[in-house]
Amino acid sequence: MIDVSYLSAAPEMMLVLGAVAVLMVDVFAKPPPRVHGWITAAAYLAAGASIVLQWQRLGAGGGGLSFGGALVLDPWAAAVRAVLLVVAVLGTLCAWEMLAGLGRRMAEGVSLVLVATAGFMLMGASVDLVMVFIALEIGSIALYVLAGIVRSSPAGDEAAMKYFLLGAFASAIFIYGGALAYAGTGATNLFDIERFLNDYLVARPAVILIGMALLVVGMGFKVTAAPFHSWAPDVYQGAPAGVVGFMAAAAKVGGFAALVHILFIGFARYQGAWSDGLAVIAALSVVLGTLLAIGQSDVRRMLAYSGVAHAGFLLTGMTAGAPAADGLLFYLATYSVMLVGAFAAVTAVSGPAGAGSSFDEYRGLGRRSPVAAAVLALTMIAMSGMPLTTGFIGKFQMFASAWDGGYEWLVIVGLAASVAAFFFYLRLVVLMYFRPGEENGRDPDAPLPLPVTIRWVLLFSAAVTLVFGIYPGPLLGLLTRV
Amino acid sequence: MVELIIFVLMGAVALGGAVAVVKARNPVYGAMGLMAALFALAVFYVVHLAHFVAAVQVIVYAGAVITLFLFVIMFVGVDRAERLTEKLAVQRPAALAVLAGVLALAGVLVITGQFDWVITVGEGAEVRGTVEEIGANLISVEEGGVQRASRWLLPFEATSLLLIVAAVGAVSLAFYRPRRKEEPDDETAGADRPGRPS
Repeated sequence: MIDVSYLSAAPEMMLVLGAVAVLMVDVFAKPPPRVHGWITAAAYLAAGASIVLQWQRLGAGGGGLSFGGALVLDPWAAAVRAVLLVVAVLGTLCAWEMLAGLGRRMAEGVSLVLVATAGFMLMGASVDLVMVFIALEIGSIALYVLAGIVRSSPAGDEAAMKYFLLGAFASAIFIYGGALAYAGTGATNLFDIERFLNDYLVARPAVILIGMALLVVGMGFKVTAAPFHSWAPDVYQGAPAGVVGFMAAAAKVGGFAALVHILFIGFARYQGAWSDGLAVIAALSVVLGTLLAIGQSDVRRMLAYSGVAHAGFLLTGMTAGAPAADGLLFYLATYSVMLVGAFAAVTAVSGPAGAGSSFDEYRGLGRRSPVAAAVLALTMIAMSGMPLTTGFIGKFQMFASAWDGGYEWLVIVGLAASVAAFFFYLRLVVLMYFRPGEENGRDPDAPLPLPVTIRWVLLFSAAVTLVFGIYPGPLLGLLTRV
Repeated sequence: MVELIIFVLMGAVALGGAVAVVKARNPVYGAMGLMAALFALAVFYVVHLAHFVAAVQVIVYAGAVITLFLFVIMFVGVDRAERLTEKLAVQRPAALAVLAGVLALAGVLVITGQFDWVITVGEGAEVRGTVEEIGANLISVEEGGVQRASRWLLPFEATSLLLIVAAVGAVSLAFYRPRRKEEPDDETAGADRPGRPS
């Protein structure tokens, strides 16, 4: 019995086709960067069109499992794909200067971005632990390479090496969890696991619970939840600026997308157990991320720790289980756009392939580049959760879900951390607008060159943050409205 | 009984091979030890009636992969001495302590009869998922080969994508040439691309 619905894997196929086309064209024609840009744009357009088709199929009551149960076409998978596609387009624009600067290795760099996107998309659509793992590796390996692709900076090499080693470690933990889940339930397919747990009363579930915990830990690494976050600051700091936003956002979206399927479908029966576990990880992430972000003197490290805190907020909402899915999607979509926007501004300041960006470089940015400073300030304000931005609505959703789920203490911890977080978010804003640039060295008011691709990314992410912050309706009920 | 004898013999070979991989000073001996361990593993597959996987194991791992290892070892040079002194002072004692702890825990579990973590279903139902069952389910092509192929079709295809990513990544990292002055990357070597795989 073969049930292959190509539509359910169409966006990934389009992206992989694009990646192969970029590589093959490069082999035969050695074209200028522009040609790679067109091929990439065509691949993104085709992927976007397939997501629209998927959405229509869902609206017509279609969807469901295909490829022998390895993939599912449900609203969550389709919506996550759309988020990842937006992240990929913005990330590519942001990284374009860096990629074009790779010279002959450009085709490889571009295809890695495309394949990484396809991998994380697959991760969000997989409902078989084997498939989740393979998709995770496709995305992760591409990101490891991208972190060190510039090669001329030791910081980049270090970032790639650290990311690779800790990522491989996390993958090993994940696959061990999958093996234990299989040993306990006799299935790797999440729906089969769900059926097994519903049909049988498991007398001693230790193996299954340990497997589930290891799966969560493995994904915790990918989404930089504390205490599995230690790689993030070093990698964000050392990797080439252009690609960090994509790297951070795509890994986070992919990780949460898979985690939602694993826990909400496969282990729904054990929600009592994993909710408590997630609540502890969430509290740790929120508190540690916020406290450590306060002490940073590098914007990228600060953003990495703030990412840890945001992973904590997302996990806070996840404790409520399936009802939180809508809010999770909203948070993931808006936070990843904010993140890419913030790193677009960082790219403008530290150069397309640069590593590190200390707070001092941001002094007086308001005069050197009004657009970059304004957008960076807006994303900082949004990340801190100020009303009229998407950050507020996302956080509110997460807290509301957790409160309804009975985790009042977690909400209080989250609120306290949010207040403390104002300090470091606003410190950057103050630095950009109310502190003069460095006295020694170059002209403090020299305008900062802003490539047109980065300008688009900045404006788009600002628009998303404001529009959906004021009028969240279209995005908020997306999953339930299909 | 025959199975037990085969298991003990091949288990010894596998363990010996694995120890040789770690202990051998000459990397060629290490590769040979790995081959012995992989071959012993193939015999285990036969015992579990997974003949196809056993054949693949011998052809791919004991054959191709080990040949590749040997090729690389010969290529790099066998005579290069390795530094074997440990730099981290606490590592060995810590490892010994962990080993002792694991052994002690295992001993306690076996002695007190607590070693029953295998899942039981319902009350008095029989034990699920013996090693044999798991192996047959996961890897044997016997019975229903077509259906299994469709079930693992996508993971199989996606694995090829994984290999492409790894190859592309390795190429893009390895083809970097340190830039001289302001020239763009890699342009220093002239018009020909060195050894680009096609």
